[in-house]
Amino acid sequence: MRLSARVIGFTAAMLFHPWALAVETLPQHWVSAGGALTEWVVAMGGEGKLVGVDTTSQHPDSVKALHSIGYQRALSAEGILSLAPRPDILIGTEEMGPPPVLQQIRAAGVGVEMFDSKPELPTLQANLLHLGRLLGDEAHAGQLFDDYRQQLARHQAWVRQAEAQHPAPGVILMLGHMGAKPLVGGPGTVADWMITQAGGHNLATQPGYKNFSTEVLAALDPQVIVFADRTLSGNAAIAALLKDNPALANTRAVKDKRIVQVDPTLLVGGLGPRLPASLGSLSQAFYPDAKPVQ
Amino acid sequence: MRPMLAPRILFIGLGGLCLLATWLSLALGPVSLPLLDTLRAGLHLAGLPLSGQGLEQAEMILGQIRLPRTLLGLAVGAVLALAGVAMQGLFRNPLADPGLVGVSSGAALGAAVAIVCGSALGGLPSFLEPYLLSACAFLGGLAVTALVYRLGRKDGQTSVAVMLLAGVALTALASSAVGLFTYLADDATLRTLTFWNLGSLNGASYQRLWPLLLIALGVALWLPRRAQALNALLLGESEARHLGIEVERLKRELVLCTALGVGAAVAAAGLIGFVGLVVPHLVRQVAGPDHRVLLPASLLAGASLVLFADLIARMALAPAELPIGIVTAFLGAPFFLYLLVRGRP
Repeated sequence: MRLSARVIGFTAAMLFHPWALAVETLPQHWVSAGGALTEWVVAMGGEGKLVGVDTTSQHPDSVKALHSIGYQRALSAEGILSLAPRPDILIGTEEMGPPPVLQQIRAAGVGVEMFDSKPELPTLQANLLHLGRLLGDEAHAGQLFDDYRQQLARHQAWVRQAEAQHPAPGVILMLGHMGAKPLVGGPGTVADWMITQAGGHNLATQPGYKNFSTEVLAALDPQVIVFADRTLSGNAAIAALLKDNPALANTRAVKDKRIVQVDPTLLVGGLGPRLPASLGSLSQAFYPDAKPVQ
Repeated sequence: MRPMLAPRILFIGLGGLCLLATWLSLALGPVSLPLLDTLRAGLHLAGLPLSGQGLEQAEMILGQIRLPRTLLGLAVGAVLALAGVAMQGLFRNPLADPGLVGVSSGAALGAAVAIVCGSALGGLPSFLEPYLLSACAFLGGLAVTALVYRLGRKDGQTSVAVMLLAGVALTALASSAVGLFTYLADDATLRTLTFWNLGSLNGASYQRLWPLLLIALGVALWLPRRAQALNALLLGESEARHLGIEVERLKRELVLCTALGVGAAVAAAGLIGFVGLVVPHLVRQVAGPDHRVLLPASLLAGASLVLFADLIARMALAPAELPIGIVTAFLGAPFFLYLLVRGRP
């Protein structure tokens, strides 16, 4: 009985424009395969609808208690269909896959909604409105986006003021694993977006995350190093970084002890809700003499 | 070496094992379907005039997810094991692996080119896109194997030793080219590449299945016809020639079967290690070296092993999924070590 109702609902969804639906036909059971998307769903009050998340969804802590559907690029159709209650919708970024599995999931009547993970505000706006429509609360989504934009705008104003007094520092962001072989974030990454928003000048010019030779790192001579370690945090992370990359010792950042840490989960899956708040500590490190961000 | 088991008993045992693996692969999965539903859905799908009432879910899972996956597992396991026998026969060495002639590394290179360049180029006609990776992997495997074979040939003779060395060199070359693509890849592409290298039967679909099924059928029908010739080759090349075997033709056929079979298997499911090495080796322990028994027995054992490994891959972390290459190596390597240690006087 429940199944046939679902079949009718699904057929109706195929007949009419998929998401121009009455509230009762909105997806009720969600699976999210994207860290930032999960955070946004929770921020919009949709946590109760989540039945499963992927391994990149680590925030807030409460979602770790949900079923794990594995890594976003290696999803299993049957695994997702086996969740109870059976999901109505799977959301994720374009990184989600493999594509044949997504086809199988669609064939089973579960909606698959792709979101763009480009770290740009217009993309974020479209994503949030899309999520809002699916959650049946577009107004709230619009509100969240406006808040986000205003927070960033306030921060921008502060950065411009600080920049007028001090030149923007040269920064690199390194993503490491216990200090070893860190990857440096270049244009097109959330890392680059964060540095720019916080008023830094990203010294890395190659797109994506790349391994840099220690010589190049020393030659870039960053004034500030932003470091995200997947396993360690605090002083242990910085000690590990310096131990494994002795060439950094001669950079201005290390000599002046200007190493800031960020949470590596901020860097995954596009712009997340926690980013604006994290910009404050970055900017503080970029412009130590300027007045704190209010 | 005398067989431990009479061939008839061996075939009954392995056939039963393979049927059991097939049944379990169809009946078990993260979605728990009642046994009766699985049966009814299966019979309904097979076209029997039963009522399909209330079975939509079961039929979808069985027909669209488990059946293609099971067929893929059967074909991949069978073909990898047969190719293993062919290579161990060709090199007259029980440690030979289908990877020796460069087919796996060539396929990996093809896949790396497809994954990295495909994401860089972006715009491919959408009907081609799903086939790009498989086609590149298949062609890469064929191309490297053809080169290895060509390098081993001199004056109309194929030197197995030269082929072996050429295979080692080209494998190293291909891996370093894969390494280069790995370096060029961005983070997301890198992950795809890593997962592809671990193999998976996940997301099997009929469109991508049929080329492999055809090739697997061809290899499975062809190789056993050459069992006597492979037996003769065990004595040595010149001995085989004196027994009236066209050794050059046999070598060509063995290399071709391996390249086509393993190339297609890797193209469909990624790199699944250890099956081609361990299965023929194990089967030889119980069945003896006669290829008339060894070939079909390896086919059954390989198919069963891959299906059982896939069951673990899909069940162990449900609702998430393990790459099957991890499972086959986890099962295969310790068992292989045990055999090595036990075999020592």
